[in-house]
Amino acid sequence: MILLLQYTLIFASVLMLVALGGCFSEHSGIVNIGLEGIMVMGALGGALVMKFLPNLSAPLMILLVVICSMALGTVYSLLLAVAAINFQADQTLVGTAMNLLGTAAATVFVKAMNTAESVDNVSSIIQYVNQKKALVVYIGKFEFNWFMLIALVLLILSYFILYKTQFGLRLMACGEHPQAADSVGINVYKMRYAGVLISGMLGGLGGIVYITAGVSEWKFENGVAGFGFLALAVMIFGQWKPHNIALAALLFGMLRALSNVYTAFDFLAALNLPGNLYNMLPYIICLVVLAFTSKNSRAPKAEGIPYDKGQR
Amino acid sequence: MKKEKTSLLRNAGVQSLLASLLCILIGLIVGYIVLLIIEPSGANKAITTIIKNFLTYSRTDTQLKYLGNTLAKTAPLLLCSLSVLFAYKAGLFNIGAAGQYVIGAGASLYFALALNMPWYVCLIAAIIAGAVLGAISGLLYAYRNVNVVISCIMLNWISLYSVNTLLTSVKDSTSPYTLPLASTNPSAVLPTLGLDKLFNGNEYVTIAVPLAIIIAIIIWVVLEKTKMGYELKATGYNKNAAKYCGMQEKKNLVMTMAIAGALASMGAALYFLTGFEQWSCSQASVPDMGFNGIAAAFLGGLSPLGSILSSFFIQHISSGGAYVDKTMYCAQISDLISSIIIYVCGFVLFFKYAMNKWLDRSAEKKAEKEASKDEKGGAEQ
Amino acid sequence: MEQPYAIEMLHITKRFPGIIANDDITLQLRKGEIHALLGENGAGKSTLMSVLFGLYQAEEGIIKKDGKEVQIKDPNDANDLGIGMVHQHFKLVECFSVLDNIILGVEPTTKGGVLQKAEARKKIIALSDKYGLKVDPDALVEDITVGMQQRTEIMKMLYRDNEILIFDEPTAVLTPQEIEELMQIMRNLAAEGKSILFISHKLNEIMEVADRCTVLRKGKYIGTIDIANTTREELSRMMVGRDVEFVVQKDEAKPGDVILDVQGLTVASKAHSNNAVKNVSFQVHAGEIVCIAGIDGNGQTELVYGLTGLEPVSSGTVKLEGQDITHAPIRKRSTMGMSHIPEDRHKHGLVLDYSLEYNMVLQRYFEPEFVSKAGFLKQGAIRSYAERLIDEYDVRSGQGPITIARSMSGGNQQKAIIAREIDKDPELLIAVQPTRGLDVGAIEYIHKQIVATRDAGKGVLLVSLELDEVMSLSDRILVMYEGEIVGELNPKTTTVEEMGLYMAGAKRGATSA
Repeated sequence: MILLLQYTLIFASVLMLVALGGCFSEHSGIVNIGLEGIMVMGALGGALVMKFLPNLSAPLMILLVVICSMALGTVYSLLLAVAAINFQADQTLVGTAMNLLGTAAATVFVKAMNTAESVDNVSSIIQYVNQKKALVVYIGKFEFNWFMLIALVLLILSYFILYKTQFGLRLMACGEHPQAADSVGINVYKMRYAGVLISGMLGGLGGIVYITAGVSEWKFENGVAGFGFLALAVMIFGQWKPHNIALAALLFGMLRALSNVYTAFDFLAALNLPGNLYNMLPYIICLVVLAFTSKNSRAPKAEGIPYDKGQR
Repeated sequence: MKKEKTSLLRNAGVQSLLASLLCILIGLIVGYIVLLIIEPSGANKAITTIIKNFLTYSRTDTQLKYLGNTLAKTAPLLLCSLSVLFAYKAGLFNIGAAGQYVIGAGASLYFALALNMPWYVCLIAAIIAGAVLGAISGLLYAYRNVNVVISCIMLNWISLYSVNTLLTSVKDSTSPYTLPLASTNPSAVLPTLGLDKLFNGNEYVTIAVPLAIIIAIIIWVVLEKTKMGYELKATGYNKNAAKYCGMQEKKNLVMTMAIAGALASMGAALYFLTGFEQWSCSQASVPDMGFNGIAAAFLGGLSPLGSILSSFFIQHISSGGAYVDKTMYCAQISDLISSIIIYVCGFVLFFKYAMNKWLDRSAEKKAEKEASKDEKGGAEQ
Repeated sequence: MEQPYAIEMLHITKRFPGIIANDDITLQLRKGEIHALLGENGAGKSTLMSVLFGLYQAEEGIIKKDGKEVQIKDPNDANDLGIGMVHQHFKLVECFSVLDNIILGVEPTTKGGVLQKAEARKKIIALSDKYGLKVDPDALVEDITVGMQQRTEIMKMLYRDNEILIFDEPTAVLTPQEIEELMQIMRNLAAEGKSILFISHKLNEIMEVADRCTVLRKGKYIGTIDIANTTREELSRMMVGRDVEFVVQKDEAKPGDVILDVQGLTVASKAHSNNAVKNVSFQVHAGEIVCIAGIDGNGQTELVYGLTGLEPVSSGTVKLEGQDITHAPIRKRSTMGMSHIPEDRHKHGLVLDYSLEYNMVLQRYFEPEFVSKAGFLKQGAIRSYAERLIDEYDVRSGQGPITIARSMSGGNQQKAIIAREIDKDPELLIAVQPTRGLDVGAIEYIHKQIVATRDAGKGVLLVSLELDEVMSLSDRILVMYEGEIVGELNPKTTTVEEMGLYMAGAKRGATSA
């Protein structure tokens, strides 16, 4: 039971962070399908810190891991920002490319690094068994992960920024009606950059949280196993609102956790359902919900539409 | 004359070709730079290896054999890219080709391994399964206004987990892979019609290769020459006008997605029914094939005939990656190159736009010169 | 005594490739006046305003504010100079509150960027009282009426302390009561010392509210006159450059059998529930032009959607030549002899990325003449058909049949649609604003075609917002107001004034149609 709670919370943290990232991007008007790739990059950033600076004190380790994963995620998201904002590229196409590129680039990088260290090592694995201990505290049997707290803080912060600040108001105006924002002197391009880069930041952080959840090494060839897409489902299910996203993340996180630990529950094991069903459920739920709500969706109205100042 | 040169550059086909070549060039250059960074000494050799692929082998018969492998993998990629471009012509982004590919693999392998069906039944089963999956996205869009990209993404993962579950029943007991096709049910293996002999006995070169090319030509004919293509493209360009002139745009959308789905899943069947690869029932990600189909579709300038070339090219460099010196580089370097090519494809529209603008401007300058002459003449009166 | 000018635009010239949009135009706006800017579509009003707003840079000429020359490079400069504009299409974020929309861009915040909405609310309520705007700061924009949305736009300008207020065709979307209220608001604003530029092509409104009027025609400056010393007719002459031609050459109508019979038709509206068509009945006979007149947004669009099948009908019946087509699919109506020149040629009328020839067969591509039994298009037949239409209807384009429709001029795009719809040899032609946004030559041509269709014994249902067009073209006029037909008029005996009363809902007649 504790294990379920622990997995639920950590998966929910991942999903929430990444979905919040997507939420910022979409509120600025850019559809971010590339979250999966961004997560891989963020994960790589954090993993590298743990690999090369193994002996840091716990707070410093957490800080550096967070900063590095965020930084790499942000830099990587520039690919989307430049293509979608400056060059009006098809956002779906670019996002797809970023997902493929993220995994490929991380794999090439890690493999090159491993091979350089030892010619026989052609794997794409980074290990961080001891380093990971800095991230967790045991409360009884419960493995508390500092990232859970960070995710909670960022959730509250995101809510505050979106609804209570000048920045949030302007950001959402750009996603809803960029011409209106432009007419009152808001630089739509700049706001969209901000939205995409924040999504890179949060997505990158989500990446490192994911690869430290429950495991102590990561094979980068595997990417992040669809968590970026799952986060997209969380964002849609949460109707682009941070508080709803938190609830959706908890629900979907729990389903994910169940797929890992359902055998520990007698009544679930007795049902004898395939574990894949729990993996599938979030997507099915999301699709059903979409089928019933899409007629009056709360999705930002201008999302996915390139903004061209010249066109009025 | 200069005028002819201008009109040549304005030709949409020429522009697409130029844009695609530019994308490939950029992809290769970035790949080369990455190679240089990793290990400068081997970079030249590695990039030529990737570009050469099977030509790395010196003996013709070996070359042919490995060309055969590349072709066997090109067939599914081509079908995935046809799936993407067919939907795109009707204004839909079929990111679901990946999931439709998965369903196609699931259906064909299940019919082959669990039900012991001959290859054509397996193929048809895959086509139907993919069509149904595609139609679901189409229906959700036409009648429930669900964004096709979003529903496709959801269905991609639903398909993956379903197929993993389904194929577990025909799994090898000691590995995560499905049972080998040729020994379990030889009748399900696609016939080669002697094509294998052409490629030095490569049994994976089957009717899949010519079939894929024929399908590409059929798709081209359908899009360009038939009433159906006329309607689909009209719907893609302007949904409202299609409705205005009485086309049943909802039916068309559903049908488009069903056909797109059928194409992608047929691609999977044409691959897995060669026995070239087994399905891994524990795979955690949707295979890249469908996504690479997006790349091939855009790189081919969204033309079915262009797709034949672009699919081969992408598969060619992907296979080429396997030959790089493993002590320095890894095979994924070619994934890196092809993903960069897709990324750059995002700029193609801009490239064409910039090019047309440049042509407009030079035409305008010319017109202005003539106009100023006229004005001088007319100002006197 | 010469009053000081708030804004002066002197000798502005702005060229675009191929045309001179503004040719030496001078506009002087006095402090505290309501100054109308009058001109037909394409006269250069929008370009001039875009120059004032910094969206375009003029090649020649200068702009002065309070007598001093200023540079306006982008909308922010215009804002800084106190120039505000209510755009024709509102620039409002629908899911935001009125307050959020007003403060967007000039938000009161703490140093950390946290919004301080309380202050803003106070200021908005005070301004609202002062000018009688009655805005509710907490309502969501998507929930309020169009008139209230416009007042939100006005409040945006006031909140920014703008002194120069530009209204771009502000009455097009309003109900008559709302127009009346707007006029009062504009007077209040001027009385408080705001200077107002009022862009319009509606003479009555200009006569009612403006102090002076500047007239543009085809990019040229025609003149500026005091409204007190002018008449509607004079303004009209200045605007169009000739006396308004009230009659198109046509013979007496010879109405025949009933072609279209509409009984008790009700159509729900997607956008505004009050715009739905309510229980409308009328007939169109062969050989007559029946015109639906009315102010934009009184149900005409929905009526046409209902007749043509673009939207489902809630109740009532529609019969075409005696056959019930109330629920028939669009294609069926078309093949039964209904042609439809749509209101929006880009949205419905054309596939802009198709060639001209493909657009020409849009309503007929499925006929055996153009498609083989196996489903292949007969390219040769399509080509020769398109060439014939291009020739007969004088559709001009760069490369003939293979020209991409998008690259053609608006007039020729419209001609292509008209060629397609008339050549189909319909029994009933439904033409919705067929001359919108076109130049005089194209308008005349299209009017002739419509009359010729009538004379060939077809029924024509014309929907138009232009009074001149209604008066000159129709044989019978049905006036629509708030989704109902409120009067049937005879163009020979009625006057524009009388029609205007019906259109404004001030008068109702027996609907014997």
